Amino acid sequence: MINNSSQVQNKIASRSGPEITGRFRYRLKPLMYLLPSALLLFVFIVIPIGYTFYLSFFNWNLIAPTKEFVGLQNYISVFTDPTNQKVMLNTVIYIILLLILNFIFPYLISLIVNFFIGKMKGAYKVLFFIPSLFSLVVGAMLFSWILNPVSGPAALMLRNFGMKLPQWTNSGSMAIIVICLITNWKVFGYNFILLLTGLGAVPRNILDAAALDGVPKWRVIWNIVLPMNRGVAIYVLILTIVQGLQYVFTPLNVITQGGPYYGSSNILYHTYLNAFVLYKTGSASALATVTFMIFLVLLFVEIKFVEGRNRDVE
Amino acid sequence: METNGFSVELKDVSKSYNKKTNVINEMNLSVRPGEFLVFLGPSGCGKSTTLRMIAGLENPTGGHILINGHDSAAMTSRQRNIAMVFQDYALYPNMTVYQNLEYALRVRKVPKKTRQQRLSTILASLNLSDYKDRYPAQLSGGQKQRVALGRGMAKKSNIFLLDEPLSNIDVQLREKARDQLLQLHAENGQTIIYVTHDQQEAMALGDRIAVINDGKIQMIDTPDNLYRHPTNLFVAQFVGTPQINILPVNFSNHQLTGVDGTVISRPGKNIRANLDEDQSYLLGIRPENVHLHDEQVSGSFPVEVQTIVDYGRYKQLTCKAFGEKFIKAVVNQWPKNATGTACATLDESAMLLFDPNTNQNVLDAQSNYVLE
Amino acid sequence: MLSERRHIGWHVLLLLICLCVIVPVLFMISNSFKTLQESYHSILQLIPSHPTLSNYRTLDKQINILRMVGNTFLMATLVTLGKVLTGLLAAYGFLNFHFKGKRVVYFLFVATIFVPFTTVMIPNYLVISKMNLLNNVLGVALPQMCDATGIMLFLKAMERVPKSLTESAKVDGIPDRRIFCNIIVPLLKPNIISVGAIFFINSWNEYVWPTLILKDKSSFTLPLALQNYISSEGGTNFPLAMALAVIMIVPPLLIYIVFQRYILSSISNSGLK
Repeated sequence: MINNSSQVQNKIASRSGPEITGRFRYRLKPLMYLLPSALLLFVFIVIPIGYTFYLSFFNWNLIAPTKEFVGLQNYISVFTDPTNQKVMLNTVIYIILLLILNFIFPYLISLIVNFFIGKMKGAYKVLFFIPSLFSLVVGAMLFSWILNPVSGPAALMLRNFGMKLPQWTNSGSMAIIVICLITNWKVFGYNFILLLTGLGAVPRNILDAAALDGVPKWRVIWNIVLPMNRGVAIYVLILTIVQGLQYVFTPLNVITQGGPYYGSSNILYHTYLNAFVLYKTGSASALATVTFMIFLVLLFVEIKFVEGRNRDVE
Repeated sequence: METNGFSVELKDVSKSYNKKTNVINEMNLSVRPGEFLVFLGPSGCGKSTTLRMIAGLENPTGGHILINGHDSAAMTSRQRNIAMVFQDYALYPNMTVYQNLEYALRVRKVPKKTRQQRLSTILASLNLSDYKDRYPAQLSGGQKQRVALGRGMAKKSNIFLLDEPLSNIDVQLREKARDQLLQLHAENGQTIIYVTHDQQEAMALGDRIAVINDGKIQMIDTPDNLYRHPTNLFVAQFVGTPQINILPVNFSNHQLTGVDGTVISRPGKNIRANLDEDQSYLLGIRPENVHLHDEQVSGSFPVEVQTIVDYGRYKQLTCKAFGEKFIKAVVNQWPKNATGTACATLDESAMLLFDPNTNQNVLDAQSNYVLE
Repeated sequence: MLSERRHIGWHVLLLLICLCVIVPVLFMISNSFKTLQESYHSILQLIPSHPTLSNYRTLDKQINILRMVGNTFLMATLVTLGKVLTGLLAAYGFLNFHFKGKRVVYFLFVATIFVPFTTVMIPNYLVISKMNLLNNVLGVALPQMCDATGIMLFLKAMERVPKSLTESAKVDGIPDRRIFCNIIVPLLKPNIISVGAIFFINSWNEYVWPTLILKDKSSFTLPLALQNYISSEGGTNFPLAMALAVIMIVPPLLIYIVFQRYILSSISNSGLK
């Protein structure tokens, strides 16, 4: 095999007509294919990361011609300012809720669909996925109507049972729950399909072997299937956090704008608020850089567990 | 307890996936305890499906399967206590060899000490003691197969089902794996049902071989009987390498003639008794029973040697005969490039005759081969 | 037969989830055909007693909905084209060429997926505004023309093309760009369709970046129009808002109905390696 491919390479090399010779040509070609993406990603992602980092050391308001250098002050206030602290705490609450709603819940349902029912798997996939097709603005509008404490259908039905739906926009924690539910409505189908596919990739023979050994289903799932599916599961878990925190931005902006008193805001929304509403560019940049660091940690977790996992299974 | 003493019985078992066509058609089978039975057949003939039904992984749509005399339909896996070795071994990838062997026992809550004792004996007998902490990904094909067998031994199963277990092992190592399997069988005496499409493997391993085609058992018998007295054309052609020669012939005037009228042989009384006058048949003769001579011998017919293939152990000659028909002969000696005309005789005691419409062997299996 | 009965319990649960997923959509569609009065009187009634198109007509006159649709369509098309083209080219670059540090470069590409938008939004906003592309569909599209997710998906698909095809072409002396155009890309058609469909739908629904760039009402895309309508122009006229939302969901639904098999299989495979 190895000999074969070097023969092929030689043949290719010998037929490479009157073009730029050897190594220079080999360096140029891949560049041309990668150039458009590399350029776009560099200009619109890599450089901005650097520039945001640079901005975090200044006080600015996005318009003024001069910036005031303040050193690490913005970073200090990220961790000491009470509003920032509240927002960080909220972010943790968001992450926990998102993990429960967008990871654990779809995972349980995908286990049910894969192992505990026989038919209609495809139909459920098609149906569950539908909300993923809609904008979160639509979702936000829809749910703020459904859950409207005065005139929404949910309140109406609860009234029949003598219960009242509270004005959830007035409470930070309730608003967080509703916003997570809205995101869950959109993302459930997508995560469900990813997890279901991972479960479906468990070889049938292994399940047969376990059945022959007389192993009860829940044990098969716990001892064999879940460990084998770890790669996909961790990928979805990290996706839930990374995507989820960014997704909640939309309902936040549409419904509560982070209120009341930053009660429903999280670190990403607060960054936006600082940048484009309060015009405190420095604080925003510091917050953004800290967020980026957190996401980098998640990236490393993904690489360590997902890529490493896949090498095992080979 | 055991009604007939059979390990596994299939009674009129049928299997269909779409309510229209049957993949398995009213199959009947009785497997004796301690027997090494081989299911042999081409891909898609239903042998793996039958195996899976015995294992309980699928249910028959008709008929009954009895395990040790009891109807298996109501049995749980634990009651069945069958061990199965899959083609890709199906070892749990996230567990070590030891944990793989141990898993079924843990699930049955066998006490730890018993587990350790039983497993160390099994590991030793399979030469796997040094590998007990390795993961399946780190094992060779042969080692994986032994672990798969070990799983069944840990459960103390009496019935082992093997689904083409040697096909993922390198050809050179296959023979060794085969020998190890036979040794295991000799030592422990389990009932083994072994599925393969390789007829040489089947002949080497089985006490009896069930040749399956189109969901039906074509013939079930010892390798020797399969080879010498096949009940139909399919079995004759499926078993034996190189493949048997099949020639259309005519029987009239006490003679068997080829399609161009050449006399092939004047069969003896026992054979004649089974043939009808002026009927066409299919003659089956294995290449090693076709004898070639340089010069005319009594009872021979002319052939033209066209190609010679040297396999080392023997030489295979392809000859033209009776006009457009081809016949293969296998000889030990033949001058190197000697193509051209020659004379052939057929070993009459090895001749098989098949009805061209039913493909059945018309010669009574036993009584024929009293040599004249 | 025993197993069928046991399954019913699970199916009930799953159908309940289906209801939670679909019923809000049904309410939305139903409300879009009700007048404001009717929507207050018959909140829980799914099928309107006096269905009317008045909401849609109002949208057309009052909000110039067609212009919004046009803006959104243009933006989504530009972004989709950009992502697909750059994705295909880059994936082929990674597939075909081996150079020093290739793994590092690929890793950097993939890492861009993990960059939160807040980290890049300020500088990108400044750049777009300096290029005078605020309030312009191009300003929204430009920073998004490349998506590393697309590169990853296309690369995976290309790796599934049997190597013998490309190698035999190379031995015949066919240049890389022709292998790319005439062999690889046609074979990837189903992937291009599914990935393109997903990109288009996501771009169609996008809210965050357009919100920053598009301030002028006439340049709004549909999600912005919807939000703007709810929060400023009296979010009390729900039927009108619902009608707008219905218009918004039609193209993604249509794409889904036509390409559903491609889309779902692409998503399914994106999780596996």
